[in-house]
Amino acid sequence: MSDDQVTFTVDDVELSAPKGSMLIQATDKAGIHIPRFCYHDKLSVAANCRMCLVDVEKAPKPMPACATPIMEGMVVHTKSAKAVEAQKSVMEFLLINHPLDCPICDQGGECELQDLSVAYGGDKSQYTDIKRVVFDKDIGPLIQTELTRCIQCTRCVRFGEEIAGMRELGMTDRGDRAVIGTFIAKSVDSEMSGNVIDICPVGALTAKPSRFTGRAWEMQQHAAVSPHDSVGSNLYIHTLDGKVNRVVPRANESINEVWISDRDRFSYQGLYSDDRATRPMIKLKGEWVETDWNTALQYAIDGLQLVIKENSVNELACWISPNATLEEHYLTQKLIRGLGSNNIDHRLRQTDFTDQSFAPVMPWIGKDIESIERLEAILLVGSHVRKEQPLIAHRFRKAFRHHQVKISAVNPRKFKWRFKTSHELISSAEGMVENLAGIAKAVGADQANVSALISAASVDEGHKAIAEELTTAGEAATIFMGNIAAQHPQFSVLRALSHAIAKQTGATLAYLPEAANTAGAWLAGSVPHRFAGGSKANSTGANISEMLASPKKALITFNIEPEFDVANPAQAMDAMDAADFKIVINNYATEAMKEYADVILPLSAFSETSGTYVNAEGFWQSFKGAVSPLGESRPGWKIIRVLANLMKVDGFDYMSSEDVRNEVKEQCRELQLDNSISVDAPIANISKTDGLQRVGDVSLYSVDSLVRRSTPLQLTKDADHNHAAINSTLAAKLKLEDGDRVSITQSGHCELTDIRIDNALADDCVWLPAAEELSVQMGTTYSPIELEKA
Amino acid sequence: MPEIRNYTLNFGPQHPAAHGVLRLILEMDGEVIQRADPHIGLLHRATEKLAESKPYNQSIGYMDRLDYVSMMSNEHGYILALEKLLGVEVPERAQYIRVMFDEITRLLNHLLWIGAHGLDVGAMTMFLYAFREREDLMDVYEAVSGARLHATYYRPGGVARDLPDSMPQYKASKWHSQKEVSRLNDTRSGSLLDFIEDFTTRFPGYVDEYETLLTDNRIWKQRLVDIAIVSPERAMQLGFTGPMLRGSGIEWDLRRKQPYAVYDKLDFDIPVGTNGDSYDRYLVRMEEMRQSNHIIKQCVDWLRANPGIVMAADHKVTPPRREEMKGDMESLIHHFKLFTEGYCLPEGEAYGAVEHPKGEFGVYLVSDGANKPYRMKIRAPGFAHLSALDEMTRGHMLSDVVAVIGTQDIVFGEIDR
Amino acid sequence: MSMRTVKHYIKSFLFLELIQGMMVTGKYLFKRKITLQYPEQKTPISPRFRGLHAQRRYANGEERCIACKLCEAVCPALAITIDVEERDDGTRRTSKYDIDLFKCIYCGFCEEACPVDAIVETDVFEYHFENRGENIMTKDKLLAVGDKYEDSIAANRAADAPYR
Repeated sequence: MSDDQVTFTVDDVELSAPKGSMLIQATDKAGIHIPRFCYHDKLSVAANCRMCLVDVEKAPKPMPACATPIMEGMVVHTKSAKAVEAQKSVMEFLLINHPLDCPICDQGGECELQDLSVAYGGDKSQYTDIKRVVFDKDIGPLIQTELTRCIQCTRCVRFGEEIAGMRELGMTDRGDRAVIGTFIAKSVDSEMSGNVIDICPVGALTAKPSRFTGRAWEMQQHAAVSPHDSVGSNLYIHTLDGKVNRVVPRANESINEVWISDRDRFSYQGLYSDDRATRPMIKLKGEWVETDWNTALQYAIDGLQLVIKENSVNELACWISPNATLEEHYLTQKLIRGLGSNNIDHRLRQTDFTDQSFAPVMPWIGKDIESIERLEAILLVGSHVRKEQPLIAHRFRKAFRHHQVKISAVNPRKFKWRFKTSHELISSAEGMVENLAGIAKAVGADQANVSALISAASVDEGHKAIAEELTTAGEAATIFMGNIAAQHPQFSVLRALSHAIAKQTGATLAYLPEAANTAGAWLAGSVPHRFAGGSKANSTGANISEMLASPKKALITFNIEPEFDVANPAQAMDAMDAADFKIVINNYATEAMKEYADVILPLSAFSETSGTYVNAEGFWQSFKGAVSPLGESRPGWKIIRVLANLMKVDGFDYMSSEDVRNEVKEQCRELQLDNSISVDAPIANISKTDGLQRVGDVSLYSVDSLVRRSTPLQLTKDADHNHAAINSTLAAKLKLEDGDRVSITQSGHCELTDIRIDNALADDCVWLPAAEELSVQMGTTYSPIELEKA
Repeated sequence: MPEIRNYTLNFGPQHPAAHGVLRLILEMDGEVIQRADPHIGLLHRATEKLAESKPYNQSIGYMDRLDYVSMMSNEHGYILALEKLLGVEVPERAQYIRVMFDEITRLLNHLLWIGAHGLDVGAMTMFLYAFREREDLMDVYEAVSGARLHATYYRPGGVARDLPDSMPQYKASKWHSQKEVSRLNDTRSGSLLDFIEDFTTRFPGYVDEYETLLTDNRIWKQRLVDIAIVSPERAMQLGFTGPMLRGSGIEWDLRRKQPYAVYDKLDFDIPVGTNGDSYDRYLVRMEEMRQSNHIIKQCVDWLRANPGIVMAADHKVTPPRREEMKGDMESLIHHFKLFTEGYCLPEGEAYGAVEHPKGEFGVYLVSDGANKPYRMKIRAPGFAHLSALDEMTRGHMLSDVVAVIGTQDIVFGEIDR
Repeated sequence: MSMRTVKHYIKSFLFLELIQGMMVTGKYLFKRKITLQYPEQKTPISPRFRGLHAQRRYANGEERCIACKLCEAVCPALAITIDVEERDDGTRRTSKYDIDLFKCIYCGFCEEACPVDAIVETDVFEYHFENRGENIMTKDKLLAVGDKYEDSIAANRAADAPYR
């Protein structure tokens, strides 16, 4: 046995554990249960509930197992009379001020206080006086408080400080007057705040959206995978009467640990929105009629075949959501290709496709998620990781708290992080390229396709410092290219430069894939230039940019709302108008769809279909439907399968989604994942913007149609985007003040809005996020924009 | 010459003498039974399987519905098995209450049996007299549990509520003057125990009347004597229990041989038969009624002298009193958990058996440590008895089948479960 | 021939046991009747009687039920169906409370489970259904029963309170 192991005895069982670990950690590992309220595996030790008191021999008093370090030869009894008596007494004290709320408390039935009271407490109270009352606080649309029920375990406080990185909740006063409250801000706005609902051992913090809807014992639990970001957080969907009632995390140490983001937790609220498509619909003489599947499918096929016959099969195009499952991607591209077209793309928000044929087989982070915690230097290129992939940002924060990982960023805005950054280079889109070139020059990188850029770059202190960090860390450094980079007009240049820097410093080049299944979409061949498994297509079809620029005649959209989900909404809607026949396969049937579509086929939501997502570390996660499809909606893979069968395309004899997955898996069997890119890859031209440039990302709660419909999420501060922002220099130049009304014009469309002054922005940049009501009729982000006082 | 073949007769399941839903396929040679093949399952409700999906307490009510003429005895068997695993201590008063109601239940069962048996054989009056007495006993059931048949009264750790101090009374109407009503209420003026005691003083006289009507009656004897004789050895081989076994002369009674509750503290005799025919079984049951009456009397005396709690105070198993539940956090939590999740039984298995009016009624429980049984098996006495129907009726006349069903005291609730 | 056999023959010949039996029945011919004239007259009913269900209200007219679902959870026959909602005043209430009387086994567990004495089993046992669906006691029907019989419900609970 190594020196750092200590041997000790618990309940007559000899255990050994690493030196310095706490007793409760060792007993948990050994399967000996000690009751606890305040101790949480992922949080610091507070030792304030005293529930875990155990009897340690030679100690005069019972010791809290969560704060007692193990020592050699220690003898512990967790069930001796002394320990049991101590636990019983603690339980009695905890219940003195607990209100008689069980019957009306949502936690009832899954409450740790109830469970431990029955298991370890007495069955009769001796306390007869009046109980204390604490007034509730409204801390936002997601979390319901009932603070009288609080037992002051401070798990939520520690969660805020340690995990979410926002000291949002705190405890004030002492003794029996101690109460939990918010500090200055009135609401809890962390993107992971929902986790306090899970960690609260009592009913003091419960989920507001599912308040008073059902009891724990009547819900059924189904494993699922998050359909929003590329972390692929493991979820449990809890269903009640065949409907999704709530979503909670499913522990998976290597992916999401025990947490999930609020987006994963509350997006289900959009599942049953009023515009959910439940019956197939066709447009007959300008009128929408609901019909049966046979009629709708036949109508769709007739329409498609007519357009193909009148034009050519090259006029068939498909835009598919990157949140669709691997199976849906695979079958859709197989159908399109089976009909003879290559025009399929899922990269809806990307604008630069110069180097697409050199791109890796799929974008991924090049390592597993867990290893992020061990990095020593991180360079974020165009990434608002905290809101894009909240649980990746949580790993950054863990690395930062553990060993102060050096995090730098090249971004269009100085975002608010939950970790300290060492250097942030904030600029417009071209500035990002220049900054990256500067860093490349500082590390001494050289690469054929960007050598001109690098040699032309000027190096300043910031570049040098970042270069120094990356060089020092060497292989323990990673350059992350985020969503903003992927949407950048010179994505190919950023990629080439990042690659050059990574190569020079030994760092890993990592992509943070944009959506739940971006990686899977690449693997499944949902791109115009590659088949499934990454092999080169027979001919390269049109990418989304080309499909927008020269619209196709027949169009299939798969679970997207082009006005929100495509980089250039204005152009997308024009392309829609230009097409002759449009099939919409979607969860929802919106008014906009009814304007442009010819057929609407109702699609099952993520909770209603089986499928597979490939996450940022390239991990395939399959899941089954938790509830049956709503109304007459059908899982995507089935819709495509039937469409293909009816159109007599061969090879669609799948019996299950597993069959489809296995086929893709077979095609990906010999795949070698590699994020490096050829030094000869072409790069985009760099265009200078004169005047003002629009910058922006896609907000956390606008990324897909489901979250956009989740009412509680839309009520949070993170969803408040009905304004534009500029920095004070630009404001001074334009003589604007915070809150002024301005008119913004782009692509010939003008909107009136408020302006906010925010010095997190670079000069001459106007912050206007995509996929918001304000920007749905405009062009792409990172392009010229006009702004004047209204 | 044409071959003479036996005639097959369907008896039941809709036959008034088939005691519920018994279906017999009788192979007849003329009027003589060659073979009797009972078909069961028409009243199968999967009680054993159902119990696997419910917290333990929720199955108590389903026990009533097994042998639906001896409700509380069934409950007792189930509760005994539960308590064996739980290790909960039952207050003595609760045990006396249970014994008293076990015996009241025996009276209820035997009264129904004598009524139905008599009716089957042709003695109409018995039915009316027996039901008159049953009425009083069902009032007793109602007074303690609130239900006249399906009581759901026994709980692990005791019984649901203590015996009431008063009985509900008749009210005057245009049909009965106050004077008449007060005569009707004569026995109801005191507590439940007074009411029961009054019944026990009257009851032996009633049994005498039944015996006067039946015991020496020539028709009765012609129908029962030497019908379906079962030898002591054969009775044991066939798994007979209760009066069926004792009628064959074997002195076997769980109340004596494996005393449960407080039977070891009570004085009673075990009647046995000598010939093992239907008539002996009749005599055994009649005597059992007298003995039960004697036991009830003893219980009444003890209960009157010993007030106390009727439910164990361990609220990890028994719910707290309502008053406490409404004002006390611990009690509320325990109430909440007991009524939703119930309690968990330690891992293991247990068999609880009682001397049920029909024989040995046992419940075999296997627990995997959860709040529901992993498996439950009910040993119903009637099943073994019905299995012997073929043997008992063979060679008898068709009309004797009815008498044999009667003497077996068949109730389908327990056989089909 | 023994004396016993002689006696037996005499008894048989004189129909003695039959005459004794008929004396028993004949005696009852002159006794007071023990029957009642139902439905005008009724047998007494115990305050613990478990009959038709009812939902009670507080004296101020507020419904007692707080939709805690304990009765639904404890119901062995799964006869109770409850939907919960947050009422406009923020309190927890049922939006649906159905008892299927065809499923109910009248065990009384719902009443035992109820922390606020909302669901009770009254001593009403004379009820019938004429159409399909009437076996479902909705919240409105239950409250109506409760309103109608509140006096007897309250009296019965009070009488039985010391035993619960």
